[in-house]
Parts: sequence; C-alpha cells; structure tokens
Amino acid sequence: MEFMKWKLTEGSPRTRRAGMRRFGAAFFGLAMVAGTAVWGAGVPAAEQFRKEVQPILTKYCSDCHADGAKKGGVAFDELKSDEALLKPDLWVHALKNTRAGLMPPRNKPRPTAEEQQTLERWIKYAAFGIDPKNPDPGRVTVRRLNRVEYKNTVHDLLGVDFNADAEFPPDDTGYGFDNIGDVLTISPMLLEKYLAAAKAIVGEMVPVVSGILPEQTLVGSQFRGAPGGGRNARRGPAMLSFEAPVTISNTFQASHAGTYQLTVEFAVNGSEESDLAKARLIFKADDRELLNREFGWESNKTVRVEFEQQWESGERALAFKLQPPAAGEKASSNALQMRINSVIVRGPMEKKNWTKPANYDRFFPRAVPQWAEERRQYARELLGGFATKAFRRPADAKTIDRLVKLAESVYSQPDKTFEAGVAHGMVAVLTSPRFLFRMEENVKSSPSANWSLVDEYSLASRLSYFLWSSMPDQELFALAGQGKLRENLAAQVKRMVADSRSEALVSNFTGQWLQARDVGALTIDAGKVFAREAAPPAATTEATNAPASLLTSTNLAAGATSPVNQRRQNFGNFNGRRGFRPPVQLDGAMKRSMQKEAEMFFSNLIHEDRPVLELIQSDYIFANSNLAKIYGLTNLDIRGTELRKIELPPDSPRGGMLTAGAVLTVTSTPERTSPVKRGLFVLNNFLGLPVPPPPPDIPALEVAEKDFKGRQPTLREALEIHRQNALCSSCHSRMDPIGLGLENFNALGMWREKEHGQTIETAGQLVTGETFNSVQELKRILATTHKADFYRCLTEKLLTYALGRGTEYYDTETVDQIVQRIEKEDGHVSALISGIIESAPFQKQRTRANAILVENVESKSPAEAGQGKKRKTAL
Amino acid sequence: MKSPNPASNANLVAERQASLSRRLFLRGLGACMALPALESFSPLLGAPAKAAATTAAPVRMAFMQVPNGIIPGSWLPTGEAGTNFALSPTLQPFEKIRHELQVFSGLDDLSANAGADGGGDHARAGATFLTGVRIKKTSGADIYAGASIDQVVADKIGHLTRFRSLELSCEANNRKAGDCDSGYSCAYEYNISWRSPTQPLSPEVNPRMVFERLFGAGSPAQRAENLKRRQMDERSILDFVMEDASAINAKMNGRDRQKLDQYLTSVREIEQRIERAERMPIPKIDANTPAGLPTDAGEHIQIMLDMLFLAFQTDSTRIATVLLAKEGSDRIFPDIGVTGGHHTISHHRNNADTIAQIAKIDLWYTRQLAKFLEKMEAAKDVDGQSLLHNSMILYGSGNGDGNRHTHYDLPIMVAGAGGGGFKTGRYVKADGKPLTNLFLNMADHMGAQGIERLGDSTGRLKEAA
Repeated sequence: MEFMKWKLTEGSPRTRRAGMRRFGAAFFGLAMVAGTAVWGAGVPAAEQFRKEVQPILTKYCSDCHADGAKKGGVAFDELKSDEALLKPDLWVHALKNTRAGLMPPRNKPRPTAEEQQTLERWIKYAAFGIDPKNPDPGRVTVRRLNRVEYKNTVHDLLGVDFNADAEFPPDDTGYGFDNIGDVLTISPMLLEKYLAAAKAIVGEMVPVVSGILPEQTLVGSQFRGAPGGGRNARRGPAMLSFEAPVTISNTFQASHAGTYQLTVEFAVNGSEESDLAKARLIFKADDRELLNREFGWESNKTVRVEFEQQWESGERALAFKLQPPAAGEKASSNALQMRINSVIVRGPMEKKNWTKPANYDRFFPRAVPQWAEERRQYARELLGGFATKAFRRPADAKTIDRLVKLAESVYSQPDKTFEAGVAHGMVAVLTSPRFLFRMEENVKSSPSANWSLVDEYSLASRLSYFLWSSMPDQELFALAGQGKLRENLAAQVKRMVADSRSEALVSNFTGQWLQARDVGALTIDAGKVFAREAAPPAATTEATNAPASLLTSTNLAAGATSPVNQRRQNFGNFNGRRGFRPPVQLDGAMKRSMQKEAEMFFSNLIHEDRPVLELIQSDYIFANSNLAKIYGLTNLDIRGTELRKIELPPDSPRGGMLTAGAVLTVTSTPERTSPVKRGLFVLNNFLGLPVPPPPPDIPALEVAEKDFKGRQPTLREALEIHRQNALCSSCHSRMDPIGLGLENFNALGMWREKEHGQTIETAGQLVTGETFNSVQELKRILATTHKADFYRCLTEKLLTYALGRGTEYYDTETVDQIVQRIEKEDGHVSALISGIIESAPFQKQRTRANAILVENVESKSPAEAGQGKKRKTAL
Repeated sequence: MKSPNPASNANLVAERQASLSRRLFLRGLGACMALPALESFSPLLGAPAKAAATTAAPVRMAFMQVPNGIIPGSWLPTGEAGTNFALSPTLQPFEKIRHELQVFSGLDDLSANAGADGGGDHARAGATFLTGVRIKKTSGADIYAGASIDQVVADKIGHLTRFRSLELSCEANNRKAGDCDSGYSCAYEYNISWRSPTQPLSPEVNPRMVFERLFGAGSPAQRAENLKRRQMDERSILDFVMEDASAINAKMNGRDRQKLDQYLTSVREIEQRIERAERMPIPKIDANTPAGLPTDAGEHIQIMLDMLFLAFQTDSTRIATVLLAKEGSDRIFPDIGVTGGHHTISHHRNNADTIAQIAKIDLWYTRQLAKFLEKMEAAKDVDGQSLLHNSMILYGSGNGDGNRHTHYDLPIMVAGAGGGGFKTGRYVKADGKPLTNLFLNMADHMGAQGIERLGDSTGRLKEAA
C-alpha cells in the first residue's frame, strides 16, 4: 500500500500531487484484482529517488557503499529493482545513522541540512509510504494482562490484594517491556493458575450465604470490675483472686427477641501442687442464675459451660460473682485464681434474624427473591454488571445468558445458595478470555478503510493500562459509555497523571527502561570493588582511594586520624585479604533505595511536569541515608530511609539518571565496572542507537590485562588493547568513550578517582566527534547536540510501552511528530505523554481485515514477502 | 491474599504453619517411601498401552538442563567406548549408580550455531536443546521454535497418566528487563519445553505448587478429596470459557487468533486432565506439603527433584523437563566458594583459576543430580526393578564448551535403562550425530510409536541401540 499512500502525502512534490492521487486510487483497484505489483505504482518513488536522493548518496556515501565497496553489507548502487530500493529495513538504518551523525563518519564530509532533509523526507514519505496526515497506526496483537496488570485490575475490580508475583510465572519481555501483546503467551499451566486465582479471589471477597449466625465474644477483661480492667485492659482473661469476693459485669445487646446460646469459659489457675481451697462461681444473665457451683484447683483445666436462653431484644446484663471459701476452709487459697476467659454469645438462632456477612450489600444489594424467574433476573442483573466491569466493555446478552445459566446450574442444587451460584459465575468471568485479554474494537468505518479509530471503551482501557497499569475507573468508563471520552481527553489525561495510580507507570516504565527492576537481583562484591581501588601492595600508603564527596570535586582534605584516612588504611590492608569490611554493601536496603530513587525521580518529573532532559542532567537528586553513603553526602546528615530531594551544587557530577545508583550498578559486573555495558546502556536507552550484538568467542577484558605483564592496567588501558581489533572497534568506538566517561563511578556507584593506584582518565571523544573532559561535560553534550536523539529514543521507548508493540518503520512519522511537539513545548514531559496519547497508533488501529494482510507480509522473510505478496511494498 | 489455593483457607493456614524445613519434608518422604503400601501405586490396571520396555512397569523420562555448557576436560570419561571406562571428575558423584549410566560423546545440536544470526548462543542453546530446530531471531513478535521431544512423546502417550507432562524449573526466574540474549526473546531462554513452535510451556518454579497440583492441597487425609472437588468445580467454568473463547476466536484473525488458539488449547488440555483424573485414582501421599520457594539453590533443586521423584513413583506422569537453571544463568555458588556468576565466569579464556571454578560448578550440579538418581535407584518399582532402571534421566546442555559457545560434542548422559531398552554402564561415542537421534531412541523406549523425525534428526542413534 505504501506507494499509494506516498502519492497522497504532503511530502511529495506539490506539482505532482493531484495527478498522482487519482492515479493511486485507480491503481489500488487494479492491484487488488491482479494481486501482484505492476510497474506503474513504483515509478514515482523510484523516480524521485533517482532524481533527488541518489545524487546525495553518491556524493557522501559512495566511498563505502558503492562502486564495489559494500561496508556493512550496504551498497546503494546495487539496488537493482524498485522493490529492492524500497525495502524499509535498509532505510530505517540509513535514517537512524544519518540523523545521529554516525554516518557519514566524522572525518568525512556530511550532507547539508537541506540535503539531509531531502533524504529524510524521501525515506519517510516515499520509501516508507507514510502519509503524515494519516499515518498507518499499525495493529497491536491482543494483549493478555501481565502480572502487574492482573494484580491491579483485580484490586480495582474487587478490592482484593492478590499476590500475582508469587502465584503467576513471570511474563516474557519483548522490546524491553513485559506488556507486549505478541510476547505474552498463555499455557495450560498459566490457565490453571488463572482458574485457581479466580476462585481464590472470588472466594475471599464474595459471600456465598445471605446470613451468618451472629456471634460475639466478650473476653474476661472487658467485664467491669475486673482487676486490671478498664480502658487500657489487655484483651485477655479476667483473673479473680480466691482471697476476696468480687463481682464483674458486662452487657450484651440482643438485636432481636429469640434464642441465644451462651458459652462460658473459665479455669482455676494455681501452682503445680494441689490446693484444697474451693470457691463458688455464680454466673447470671439479667437476674437469672445460670451457674452456681464450687470450683477448686483441677490442674488448670479449662471449663466450658453452655446455656440456651430465650431473650427479649435489648440490653442483657451478664455478671460473674466469685465467693471465696469460708475462713475455716482456707488452705493456701491466695495462690488460686479464677480465670474468666470469655463469654461467647451466639444468636439469635432464628435464621431470619441472622446478620449479613461482610461485603454482602456490595455484591448483593437486595434480598434474594424467592421465585425462579425473579432469581434469574437478579442473577442477570448482578452478573451482567460484573461482567461489564470486568470485561471493560458492555457484556453482550448472549454471554450474560450463559453466565446466568452457569449460576443457576449451581444454585439449583439442593445444598447450594443463590449467592454461591452467582459467585461461581463470577469465577467464570475472571477466567474468560474477555477478562484475561484486552479485546479491542474499532469504530465502524467504511469497509475500504485500512484503519480507523478504536472505540471509546478500547481507548479508555488504552489510557488506564498505559497510565495506571489497571482497568478504567468509573469516570473513564462512564465517559466511554457516553461516547464523550475523546472530547474530554486532555482533561482526563491530566486527572489520570495526577492520580496516585500513575505510580504504576512510574515503577513499570522506569523499572524496565532504566532496568531499575534488575537492581534487586544484583550481586556485587563490595570487597572486590574496593580492592580494585586500593593501591597495588607496594604502594599502599600512597595511592589509595576513598569515595570522594559528591559536593567537592577534590578528595576530602583529611587529617591522619580522620575516618577517611583510616578507611584508606583499611583499603590498603585489604587487597584481597580477609578481615576487611567494606564501608558500603549492596544489600537489600541499598537496592531498594536505588530502585526507589529512580522511581521518585521519574515520578517527580511527571507530576511536576519537568523537562525530560533532566533525566540526563538535573540540579537535584533524591537520597536517603543509604544513598548518602553512595553519593558521598555524608556532610549533609541525611537520616532515615525516606528519600528526599537534595539540591546539588553547580557542576556536581551527579544529577540525572546516568549517574544514579540504579543505573551505575546494573551496568556493572559482580566485581567491577563495565564501561562497555555502561556505554551500551546509554546508546540503547538514551540515544536509541543500539549496537549489534557481539560475535561469539570474544575474549573478556581480563585477557587483555595479561598484556600488561606484572602490572594491573586500568580498564581504559585494557579496553584500548581490546579495541585494537578492527572487528571490535566499529562498535566499541561508540560504546567505550561513553562508558569510560563514567569510570569515576565504581561498580557500586560511588565516586572514585583512582583504580589500581592510577588516576582514572575520563576524557574522551564521542564517535560523533564531540570531545569532553569530565562526566559533567559528557552529560552536557548528550543534552545539547544529542538532544533530538534522546527525545526520539525516549519517545520510542514510552510509545512501545504505551502501545504494547515494538515501533515499526511506519511509526517514524508519529515519533517525529511527538519529538517536534516536545521541542516546541520546551521538553516538558507532558508534551511526551500527551503526544503519545494523541498519536495515530494510540488512537487508531488497522482494521482486522487489513491486519492479516500486513502480518502475512511481515512475518515472512523479506525475500518471501517480496515474492508472494507484493501488495505492501508495491501497491 | 497470599494463597489462591482452592482448598479452604483454614487448611492452608494450618499447612503453612506446619510448613516444613527441607529436612522435615524429606523425613516425611522417607517415611512414605518405606511404606509397603507404596507398591499399590501400580500403573493403572488395564492401562491401554504398555511401554516398549521388557517389563510390566511403565517407563519414565526426564530431561534436565544444566546451563552454560561444561568444562569438557573434566566431564568426558576416559577410556574406550563400551563398559570399560573411567568416570571423569565431574561424573564422579555417579559412582554408585555407574551401572545405570550411559555417557555420550559426539552428540551435536548444530541448530544452535550462530549462522547468520550472530550472538545469542544461550537463547539458541536453550530453545534448540529439546527441539533441534533453528529458532527465529526476534526479541518480540513472532517467536518461533519447534515442538520439543517431551511434548511430541506426550502427544502419543500422555493420555496414560493423570498429567501428560511436568515442566519444572529450579531457578526463581526473575526476568531481566529488556532482551534476554542478544536480540532473542526471553521465551527462548526460559523454556525448554515447547508444545508447538509458538507455544512454550512455562515451567513451575514453586515446589509447593507442583505438589498441590499433583496430589491436592491440605493435610494428607484431605488432599484427594480437595483435588477432586477442585476439578469438578473447574469443569463447568471450563465449559463456559471454552464457548466464550470459541465465539471470540471466530472473529479473530492473524496473531490475535494465535493467542486465542493458545487459550483454547490450554482449556482443552485441562479438560482432558480432569477427564483422566476421573478415571485414574489420585495417589495418597503421606509426605508433607513442601514449603514455598526455597532461597538456597541446592535446596530448591533437591525439593523440586523430590517432587519429580514422587510424580514418577506414583505414575502421575511419565514425562518431565527440568531446568536446573536457565541457559545463561548467572547463579552464584557461595557454598563452594564461587562468587562470580556462572555465566560471567564461563567465558574463562583458558584462565586456569577460572576453569577450576567452573569445574567446581559442574561438579556441584552433578552432585545435586546424583542425590536424585540414588533415590531413584533405591526405590522399587512395581516389577521389582529400581525406579531408575525403569526411567531415562537425560542430563546435559545445548552448549558444549561454555567458553566458546560450541554446540557440538555436548555433555550428555542418560541415567536409567528405560526399563531395559538401553544397555547401561557404558560410554557411547556417537562421533558427530544429532542429539535428536538419541531422543528418537528414547521415544521408542517410551512406547511412543510413529515418531520418525524430530528437528534435525537423521534417524535413530545406532550407537545407543
């Protein structure tokens, strides 16, 4: 379809547009009949290529990608057919590399801005065939709720806290996120778990009887006159000494006249030896004596006595009276005590007066009718309402009928209640694919439309699962029901972002984008980390290194007895030996602090609507006492585990997420930093320039260290050796400078200036040419000359998360438009979030019929796709 | 809510409180094993088909994956092929059951080679180990592997037992955010059992869940009843959702339909299981329900293998896969003084110290396995043979030399004679044959007929005949 779309675009040359539109429409019809490509459609894009694009490529790229040269497998002059010319894969890379300034390489002449624009426009509007006014929204595969979404949905639907992390297997991830429709599978085991979970969840919340026998327990200490009683009484038994007579009393409110059952529980406490003393215990209900007997020591045996009483409604007085033995019988009675445990009152026993169980009115707002048809009607009402909420769109009559039948099959059994039947139906709802999957519908559109808006219920769910990882709330759902959600979109988004449920976006997105989730599973050997920073044994006193203060760029000036120097001493002494306790450990509390910091940073960003560039560089961070140790904030006296905002002094190396504990630790190995991992992390997650995976069989850095006979090289030196191999250098020249720029932070994220006794050199040059001397300068470069790369990368990541699918070539224009909006709105995060929500792929979807067509083409290898279905590339 | 278990909460609370340390649990297991009544867990009387074995007892098979390859030098036995070989250091723990052992050399999993796909040998080694097919390189959409041997066999004989197969994992699987291995979806690394090319069967990591699925929740006296009730209850729900899903499926197409198909397959599977359970008695087990997820790796493996032992012993299933750890596992082993992550140090580049460390890990794993195999050897099956004799426990990896990511000369051994189908106590040199060939021999011994090919197989492994 792409060619036809191109012909309709704004981006095509103005003079041709009208004519081509007509041509395109005509061709569309023709191609549908023929089923294969015909020369006609390809002409304009290919023609335009030869006329406008090829000269640019010849001028700037032919050294490496033409005339027999085929670096990276790319030769622009070998694109023989129009079809080969228009394959999106090649142009995705060309666009990425030229935009980022990676191509042409920095020592070669570069296209002018105008030439770059010509190239970009041709790629987007001709090769990709994107209509910027109506870009292809793609289609996301139906999404199963992942663990987090399931947990939140069940919570919002029923108020149950279900531990999905413990009960369900982890969800697979794709494109870096665990909410990708294509990747979320379902297996018999998982379905079995869903079934068990549904039963447990409904079982916990939904009552299956209409009434329960009321029961109240009055413990001994709640009786007036009990020793040690009163407001602060422990809720335990009353201990009545045998020494003096005593009466204790309480009251009970009988709700109805009827039969009540009383269970009185008491014992005589004494020492091990037998004691002959006996005391008389009298128990009265109102004025009626129910018990009047003598009790002596009987091995502390608990006595339980039951009485049945016919009571009027109202207040009933209950009292115990203990009469001590007469003086003559007194043996050692002061050692004995009557322990009154409790009086349990059950009743009224008449069923009509039983009380409703917890949550009853919530699920069964009125009494259960008597007659079968009315019952069915009531069940229909209850299950229809529940299914509609659970399915996040109105349940159809047929489904409700079947649910009612299911409920009836249970409650029509002699020993089952109506409520149990309805509960059974609810279990079915929670096991249904309509609950477990997010079913989306398009609004009705003309049959020839390739895509259209998703309906408002789908939009409500897209919003709620994006921003809250949960189902739509009442307000969203009501607006969708009235068809007014789109009208009120901006206000709703604002409300939803402000709502505390948006913390789900914060933790799920940062947890995965910044890999903050992975911190929890890290093991980093602090001892080995510090040992690296210690001097080689010969030079112990000279060059060792403690975490420097964050706030001063030089080491703390410290006297010989200062803690810092003592620590230095320790480092020197350590060097791999036992008996050393590292001052900082990556323990559970530390990991939680790091993860929380990343979340708080992002949360603050969206709630205060800060510029997204603060993710690279900010003049504040969040820290608690744990992080203060990592960040060298010891002079600020930060106490407690609560994180708080800390203003940074000008030119601090900290600030932003690249120098945050979570990022610095997840990009380290268990024993040392990894400049390669760190560089890769920045390329992947901040600049959107993924590096191809390494070939197998590459030596570890430790091997390069062997070249330095007898001396421990710095990582920089080791990497230099490693990079000498040309095969390695093409990628490492991208990763290493960035990673080495962060070398002042050890594997725990602490500042350091030396490794193996040598000063760490962080100056470097990016592959795109910019030079820097410090991490501060590195960040400044990323935030200025690479600002657009960062905006684009962040947009792609958040878009992937929001859509539940990877971004494709046809999303290029969508991403560009969002990036432009961020630029225009001074980089504020609200521009990013609203930009995504208002974008074509979020609002629209390919129709089902069109989805098949495209999927067939996409799932084949390019060669096959080109042969079999030429529609997509050539229509 | 802590437990979604269908058993009453009161039971669960009691069970939890009694939740047992491993030692206690094993004591229970020991007691159970001593009971003469155990032999009444005979395979079902009148079961329609018998395994091809020479005895009346059923044959069981399990596939256990050890991750990241091994140190070949300390794995391979010395000596000639045949019965006259010496156990290598890594295989030393199997001394006591040497007579039930077959150690193989020269078996390959070439589907895991890089080819044009570049990095990602761990993902490939994991997903090709039991399938023998090249997997599609994708980090997201359209994962594609192949049906694995356990599932292909289960298709043939899975109906004979209450569970067609068990999928177990001994590594609490915290997925990492992002790709798992060089652009491969995590599904490839975390699943060795594949029902179909697009449906991996995620393994259960929690021993308690395995136990309750097999034998029911609650106290020993209540379990069978609880399980029955759970299954009856589930039937009507399954009927409902089956109809629901079919109605939706009719409207679906493309990948949406694939997802719904997975759902429908799963429903059918559970229904069949319930049907079988109604025909087949639920064995009564005196062992206590194990506690949840052990934090210690060795303990986790041992309890999980105890579950497998019980499942085999009671003939609840005959087919299982066990991830002792996922491919690329970076597990650390503080109890043997190895603090570097397994995967991290597996790229040792011939550093002698590191090699020694990895050899220690290799030995750690075989020691774990040996405990299980000895228990299998000590248990008597219905025909008087040992349970091990009537089983085939394949242990190995889709990576050979973990350092270089080779996929030939894999470390493979099979313990147990498959009821007499295999000649054991020998060292078999296969000299460059697909690992899948050996799987076909195993399928034969399981009595699964008509399996002529699996993945890259070229025929039965004659050397093991």
